[in-house]
Amino acid sequence: MATVTLQNIQKRFGAVNVIQDLSVDIADGEFVVLVGPSGCGKSTLLRMVAGLEEVSGGEIRIGAREVSNLPARDRDIAMVFQNYALYPHMTVEDNMGFALKLKRANPADTAERVKKAAAILGLENLLDRYPRQLSGGQRQRVAMGRAIVRNPQVFLFDEPLSNLDAKLRVVMRGEIKAMHQRIGTTTIYVTHDQIEAMTMADKIVVLHDGNIEQVGAPLELYDRPANLFVAGFIGSPAMNFLDGKIEEGVFRTEKGLILPLPAEVSPAKAGGRPLVYGIRPEHIRASDQGIQGRATIVEGTGSEIFAKLDCGSEQLSCLFRERIDIRFGDTVGISIDAKQVHLFDKTTGHRL
Amino acid sequence: MERPLVKRPLIKRKTLDRIGLLFAALVMVSPVVLFFLWMISLSLKYEIDNGAYPPILIPENFAWSNYVQVFRENNFFLYFWNSVLVTGAATLLALIIGVPAGYGIARLKAEKAAIVIMIARMTPGLSFLIPLFLLFQWLNLLGTLWPQIIIHLVVTVPIVVWIMIGYFETTPMELEEAASIDGATPWQVFRLVALPIAKPGIVVAFILALIFSWNNFVFGIVLASRTTRTLPVAVYNMLSFEQVSWGPLAAAALIVTLPVLVLTLFAQKQIVAGLTAGAVKGG
Repeated sequence: MATVTLQNIQKRFGAVNVIQDLSVDIADGEFVVLVGPSGCGKSTLLRMVAGLEEVSGGEIRIGAREVSNLPARDRDIAMVFQNYALYPHMTVEDNMGFALKLKRANPADTAERVKKAAAILGLENLLDRYPRQLSGGQRQRVAMGRAIVRNPQVFLFDEPLSNLDAKLRVVMRGEIKAMHQRIGTTTIYVTHDQIEAMTMADKIVVLHDGNIEQVGAPLELYDRPANLFVAGFIGSPAMNFLDGKIEEGVFRTEKGLILPLPAEVSPAKAGGRPLVYGIRPEHIRASDQGIQGRATIVEGTGSEIFAKLDCGSEQLSCLFRERIDIRFGDTVGISIDAKQVHLFDKTTGHRL
Repeated sequence: MERPLVKRPLIKRKTLDRIGLLFAALVMVSPVVLFFLWMISLSLKYEIDNGAYPPILIPENFAWSNYVQVFRENNFFLYFWNSVLVTGAATLLALIIGVPAGYGIARLKAEKAAIVIMIARMTPGLSFLIPLFLLFQWLNLLGTLWPQIIIHLVVTVPIVVWIMIGYFETTPMELEEAASIDGATPWQVFRLVALPIAKPGIVVAFILALIFSWNNFVFGIVLASRTTRTLPVAVYNMLSFEQVSWGPLAAAALIVTLPVLVLTLFAQKQIVAGLTAGAVKGG
């Protein structure tokens, strides 16, 4: 186990700057998720930590060791790939013991460690099988087993669940998290799925265009997104954004809708500037009074109802937890929980 | 009652389709098949039947003596052994050189190197045969099998390299990355991961190199002496100025073809798989 420090990391592919000056500190035993849309540089960053991609500038440290220029084999890390990357010509047992075999570990000891890892992951009966004889979930477990057996300083996961179906993904999500809680090895996990990030991480690093948008605990990112990008990226369905200004103690959108403001906003400070008003769909409630809107989309899942309302000229997505009877075309009254409102500067995108 | 009415035309249609397909296939392979049948026929006929008009396909008496004659008269076993040595050595050397070369080219994306190797293969053999003949003469290698082994590499190495490039390009990079993370040196990555996965490709490269080397004639005719002839050259030498004895000639040609033919039949599936590797991802 070890800390991981990324300091002023840069990555260029030819003239293209993929990552510009990025720094993150990862504590010992922490589960950090790098999340962002595709092309944000998260996988490149992970591959640089792994030693599969050269660093164009900056420093990577694992524990006290500077590893930026070390080959992958000397970094004492283990990685789980998106397509599992199991050696097709080796049995599950050989796959899991491969790293120890390379280290010329004592075979009895290797077998012992493989058995232990297999027990953790419920693979005891599959040790003689070949990867092609396994299901997707089992392959995923073997890939994790291969990482555990090594007992490395850091685990790296590169979108490990994206090849699984939705149900299995939820199961494996739990298993990875449980494994981390049991073993406690420092983990860096890359995903584009914000639900995975929210459910698994101790700390989330939101990346966009090679820059860090925000670093924080999942709920911190949800409650206090630092900017418009994070606000839009974290949370599902996505936050409503409405352009407008503060006038006479209320928020007036460009199209004339009047919305309540949180108490702590001082109109004197923010008044007059173009702002963006953010409210999550789940923080809008059905109410007899308040804003009226006509439902243009209604989707019920049983546990909740998602509706898109046409409120004059503004569109608002709402997520109702209570069961209310609305249908397409109905007019619904809603109220906004002013305490849950987020305000952003429109020009910089930063939170007020 | 309705079902058979619908089904019968379907069955009829299917049978017709199959007959059509069979016919088309027959037409396409017929020159090859005909040529082969005629060779078998020639090898089993006495000289008198070979010149007969109208031609005879199946003779009344089989001339097995043609085959006996091949082995008795022409030092055939020596030439067979020469062929085995030349082809065996050229193929094995090609694998030893070509498999790592193909790996290196595929991994470094060194297309130019691959093209240079291809050019060596495309250059007509005769254009470099004479200079090489002189070179071998200076090196005092003529009269041994070495000149032929070395020059057969021109045929076998490019085949191996190109097939292996195609094969290595289809093996997922992640496997090798996983191995290097597991602590493997580049050489271990090649030996313990890339090589075992490429086994089917190696088999194909081996077989094709073997076939091309075994059948090669031009190099042998220039470089081989009386005692270092390979089989195709030996067969050619059965043609004399006074008379062509078609029976023994055809018998000899069939014997030469036989090992390759058997090999091809056995390895058919793998050859096709190897030749189309890389055409479809994961195919």
